[in-house]
Amino acid sequence: MEQPLHLKDILWAVTTIVEVLLLVQLIRGKLLRSYPFFSGYVACVILQSVGLALVHRSAEFDRVTEWNIAWGSQGVVALARSLALIELIQKILAQYSGIWALARRLLVSVGIGVVAYDLVWSKGMSQWLILNGVRGLELAMAAVIVTMLAFARYYRLPIHMLHRTLAVGFCLYSASYVIDYSLLEKLLQKYPDYWNFLGILTFLASVLVWLIAVTRAAETAVETVHATIPAELHGRLSSEVNLRLYLLNRQLNELLRSGDRR
Amino acid sequence: MSVAGILFVLFGILLIALLVWASRPPKRQFPPGLDVFEALSQSRHCLRLLPILQSLKVEDSEYLRDRGHGALMRTLRQERRRIALTYLDRLQEEFETLLEISRVLAVMSPGAVGVEELERWKLSVVFAANCAWLRWRLRLGLRPFAGLTLLSGMATNIARQLEAATSRIAEATVQGSEFRTLDRETHEDS
Repeated sequence: MEQPLHLKDILWAVTTIVEVLLLVQLIRGKLLRSYPFFSGYVACVILQSVGLALVHRSAEFDRVTEWNIAWGSQGVVALARSLALIELIQKILAQYSGIWALARRLLVSVGIGVVAYDLVWSKGMSQWLILNGVRGLELAMAAVIVTMLAFARYYRLPIHMLHRTLAVGFCLYSASYVIDYSLLEKLLQKYPDYWNFLGILTFLASVLVWLIAVTRAAETAVETVHATIPAELHGRLSSEVNLRLYLLNRQLNELLRSGDRR
Repeated sequence: MSVAGILFVLFGILLIALLVWASRPPKRQFPPGLDVFEALSQSRHCLRLLPILQSLKVEDSEYLRDRGHGALMRTLRQERRRIALTYLDRLQEEFETLLEISRVLAVMSPGAVGVEELERWKLSVVFAANCAWLRWRLRLGLRPFAGLTLLSGMATNIARQLEAATSRIAEATVQGSEFRTLDRETHEDS
């Protein structure tokens, strides 16, 4: 038990250093103003790491208080993550006014649906309310990111490397969190250090991916402008394309129906 | 581990698999920018296939059977099945190209097109399902001939409407090209 404990502390320290480096890179690359919520989230994570380290070393707090502080702060961090994700979605999709409203509705529906799914399955486990709540939020975030990327893929939207990497980092961590937590749910109280070790390891991977992406993005411009066409022209073209789609579908239906008539 | 736990783990694994898929570039890539106008004015394969379909008459094969050429009739029917499948492939190809164009238009739209897009999603699902169903029936040799021969007559009207739609698109395409030229000139001036 001793070895993983030390390893966990070392990993925790390394992760905090990488988080600080990420924040420094965000400031150096002048990305702080463009990504205020993501920067805020990184700052939150650093504060959480420092705060928890101080609580951990202090003799004033018992195990239960330490546990409550850790999970309480995790709730705040999860909220900051959600805001950073909303910011990222806006960066990727909001410039496309034609499909933005549709994307927004779709992503909100997916998010609410997944949280509801988590609540239904977590019924009767009120003692794990915060933990299950955080898992629901992480699951919803992962589902929303996958839906957003699938949506962007369907419409062939170009996604900047930084945005794609941030999304992948968020999703990988969230999905890993859900898997870790669900696998070790019953063993959580027995082996909390092993569970924390896995969590820190996956988070370190995400932060490293973000650090590389932010360092590269600082060297290139992130903002992109896409072409639009006049509303009247769009209306005409779109209605004609729709008509052709319907006619083709009718052609196919006739084919099917004529087969039945025989 | 509880059922809920297993479901959460499976959900997490599914999300990672979907993430890998969604992060990959799409198979079909439409030419970037306003090349959509050029693609819209192109002629369609399915219209060219109408004369081929008109030549597919049920009487032809029945006539052969009456004359005692059963083997020849089977060969003819196999050929017809192959033609029908090719026709179906072209029909689907055209549908997918139009969907691709509609996506480009939706992305370039200055206003919200949510309802229209939802309708297209529904239509594309119905079309894909029908195509798969018909293809399955053709491959199994389930009554494909009547459908195809009747189609040539029925499709004439639809083909006429399609042609009209194509010509109207061509007109709009000219407008689009003018807009593109104007847009380019404006950018160059600035």
